[in-house]
Amino acid sequence: MNFANVFARPGLFLTLSVLAVGIAGCGGDSETSSEVSSAEGSGSDSQSPEDGDGGGSSRPSRPSTSERDTPDHASDPVVVSEMTKQSAEEFEQGYKSRLASGQLKSARIPMRSDGPKSLDPIRGSTTYENQCASQTVETLLQYKYLKRPFEYEPLLLTELPQSEDGLTWHFTLKDDVFFHDNACFPGGKGRKITSADVIYSWKRMADIKGANSKVWWLMKDTVKGFDEYKDSQNAAAAFDYDAPVEGFEIVNDREFKVTLRQKSQSFMWKLCMFQTAVVAREAVEKYGERFGLTPVGTGPFIVKEGDWQQGLGIKFSRNPNYHEAYYPAEHMKSDEADDLHLAAGQRLPILDEVQVVFYKTDQPMWLEFKADKLDYAQVPAENFPEAFSKRTRKLKREMKNKGMKGYPVDLLDFIFRGFNMEDKVLGGNSEKAKYLRQAICSALDWDEQNEAFYNGINVIYDGVIPPGLPGYPQGGNSDKAYRGLDLERAKELMARAGYPDGKGMPTIDYYTSRAQNGQEQSEMISTQLSKIGINVQVHLLDFSQLIKKVDEKSAQFFSFAWSSDYPDGENNLALFYGPNEAPGSNHFNYKNAEYDKLYEQIVSMAPSPERDEIYEKMQSMLMEDCPFAGSMARTRFFVVTERMKNFKPVETFENWYKYVDVVK
Amino acid sequence: MWSYLIRRLAYNIPVYFSILLLVMLALRVRDPVFGRLGKNATQEDITALRAELGLDRPFVYQYGDQVRQVVTFTFDEKSWDYDGQTVGEVLRRCIGPSLAITIPALILTSLLSISVSLVSAWFRGRTLDKSLVFVSVLGMSISFLVYIIFGQYFGAYRLNEYLGKDLFAIYYEPSASNATLGEFVTQVWPKYYLLPVMISVIVAMGYDTRFYRAVMVEESSRDYITTATAKGASHGKIMFVHMLKNALIPIITRVVITIPFLITGSFLLERYFGIPGMGNQLLMAVESGDFPIVQSFTAVFAAIYILSNLLTDVLYALVDPRVRLS
Repeated sequence: MNFANVFARPGLFLTLSVLAVGIAGCGGDSETSSEVSSAEGSGSDSQSPEDGDGGGSSRPSRPSTSERDTPDHASDPVVVSEMTKQSAEEFEQGYKSRLASGQLKSARIPMRSDGPKSLDPIRGSTTYENQCASQTVETLLQYKYLKRPFEYEPLLLTELPQSEDGLTWHFTLKDDVFFHDNACFPGGKGRKITSADVIYSWKRMADIKGANSKVWWLMKDTVKGFDEYKDSQNAAAAFDYDAPVEGFEIVNDREFKVTLRQKSQSFMWKLCMFQTAVVAREAVEKYGERFGLTPVGTGPFIVKEGDWQQGLGIKFSRNPNYHEAYYPAEHMKSDEADDLHLAAGQRLPILDEVQVVFYKTDQPMWLEFKADKLDYAQVPAENFPEAFSKRTRKLKREMKNKGMKGYPVDLLDFIFRGFNMEDKVLGGNSEKAKYLRQAICSALDWDEQNEAFYNGINVIYDGVIPPGLPGYPQGGNSDKAYRGLDLERAKELMARAGYPDGKGMPTIDYYTSRAQNGQEQSEMISTQLSKIGINVQVHLLDFSQLIKKVDEKSAQFFSFAWSSDYPDGENNLALFYGPNEAPGSNHFNYKNAEYDKLYEQIVSMAPSPERDEIYEKMQSMLMEDCPFAGSMARTRFFVVTERMKNFKPVETFENWYKYVDVVK
Repeated sequence: MWSYLIRRLAYNIPVYFSILLLVMLALRVRDPVFGRLGKNATQEDITALRAELGLDRPFVYQYGDQVRQVVTFTFDEKSWDYDGQTVGEVLRRCIGPSLAITIPALILTSLLSISVSLVSAWFRGRTLDKSLVFVSVLGMSISFLVYIIFGQYFGAYRLNEYLGKDLFAIYYEPSASNATLGEFVTQVWPKYYLLPVMISVIVAMGYDTRFYRAVMVEESSRDYITTATAKGASHGKIMFVHMLKNALIPIITRVVITIPFLITGSFLLERYFGIPGMGNQLLMAVESGDFPIVQSFTAVFAAIYILSNLLTDVLYALVDPRVRLS
């Protein structure tokens, strides 16, 4: 709900007043509700009810008002510019002179939520916790800031992990990485990190009872002997962090080896995820349950006492002992238009302070942005027409005249309707059930949903792999898909399923989240399916109840969204892997021995044309069997002020604060 | 009077513990574990989290624990959302900012609406009265949210743009939470709280003015008003001394009934202006299923509600000699 936009479009005012009465009666801002219960982003608890703002779409079935280019990395080559590394003396001198003059480089940025609840990486589950924790703790690997498609690079390591057999990996830590200065260390001086710190931090992920880890799923079935260690330690009276794990071997203070259960491509991506970050054992033991309030890591920023006002905001201050790190020289050619390449070689972090403000509703965020109090903003759906042309998706001239830049950011989303494959009517592998699911897929008009609820700017695509990732079909379209709208085909399939014109078809129970516009979207789905004679009984639930229903395999037909944990289609294909059935991530309870075999094959395959071929084959199987109907992905739109430099908006990783600059 | 109060308190004890029981039962109708675990939950995770949250214990133990906290007034149970923080810490942090809105708003609203209603009742049926009633009804008919949206846009964004300085803040500055009491009174409150308070007063004025006007109109037709008028008492004296004093019973009822709601704050105002108050905190706790916060807040609220009712009785006796507590 945003008043600023109402004045830009006076005709909306009456509607707003009417809506406002309803919203007030309902007790709050629905988008915020959704954000609280959902989470997206890399390494986050990324299952969510749909929400939406921003986006772009490819639409094969009708003239499009929402066409936009899907990422075309082929025409945007990687460039590595020459760089001169800033000296430590110059870096420190600059800070001291800013400090003396009281002109610290300070950014003020928004976060559209209540903020994190904990900064302990093993307690973090939302994208907001990811974003805040990623500034104070660090992982062994990180995403390359400017490189697309995404790639990883060493962060706390001297080089990428080495392995001869793909099972045992050798890691070497940098020699100049120190923990933040903190009272938990002798004399308050942060000590150098060691191999033991990495292993200790990972063992915390297995401590379900004592440390209340929420992130064991990341390490499950990954490291040799780790699952057994986790089981035995959680069953013991006290968790022994010093007990050995077969797959962990400390060579010396800087080197260690990790032996995997099986070859795994995703393991390296997991090492970029903030949940695997290195923390100081002394701090965990000193602060206990309150460690999440006082994170002691190696990150570029620290949170001083009193600088985190829960629910309001958090201020990050420059870590004076941050290890040697520089703004990257590797970038995409297109980055040069935004001068993103100019800072190459600059010592990190560039900013002295970052003030993050938590906004529970969009109007104040947008007004503060317009009042020049924020350095960038995610454009709320209501304000999209104020900032961007709906037709061209380009930033409006008025905004450009203020020196602002607009960026669409593709999210790794898979928004779908799911079928419970164990349901007597919709599920199963019989031809009849398959025709029925295909008929439903054909009758659902995603473009209409996109137009009605998302300004027509989301990406509609076939398959389960979102735009920008290997495996995403060309132009988002696949000839194997049954995605609608194709009513003729839907009716024909209904007849083949044994329900001509819907005769004899029982009512379908559809479960979705009551957050956002769940009710309105459900009405549209009901209307669309009624055209082929299917009646839908809608059940609007709280998000937790929706998950429960699906986890218990009692939701016949449901709506969910999934944001990829890491930028590899394998993450999405895992959603249909048999052993992951509910309450695991295979909420569809899809079981296909051939599919499972292929999945087990790709888990250890490096990116290659052969792997892409298997991805395509697996997606074809899914599109034929239709355990889901879909798909849609969101794009967020960012507006960045002229004074904010080096900012390449991204939602796949969150440790980007260290790269940005503000020139007042 | 004391025996009456003790008797009333004793009657209310079972009512109070029944409220706690009902709230705890109502919360447990929906299992919070699934929502908190999100994706990738295994049966083992579900079992572990249930144990961590104490939901695997028999309900009687959970209830007993809540009663213990209430009786000892400790509220030492850990919040499920905030690492290592007790419910007491969270509640203490939030109640102050809520009171910084609700107390001034209650005082201002009561004073203004009583004054306006007296004037309205005195000029009953005339243009002034009709105009005031019209404005009151209009004020009641517009959603609170519209006032907030308008208020924030014009009262903060547009006004600041016009003045070229920040008179009222659009949104709460996080560092304002670290202000000393002196800074809070002189700088923080005028900048961050005054606008929400004004919005709250404007919204409540319509409801209160209509109610108090009805009370005053009834009083204005009493015999003692005629007698006072016949004796030549001034309008001001009749209104503010005679009429107001006799109208105190309904006024007290309405004001005191509002007291428990002072701690609930206004979640809409708090969310839009970023005030770190109880309304917003409670909403977050309900949304995320932070049972300890919801339960403890309900316990405090119910206690204040019961005490407010008692206070109403005591005040009746104080302002009206005809009322005897026995």
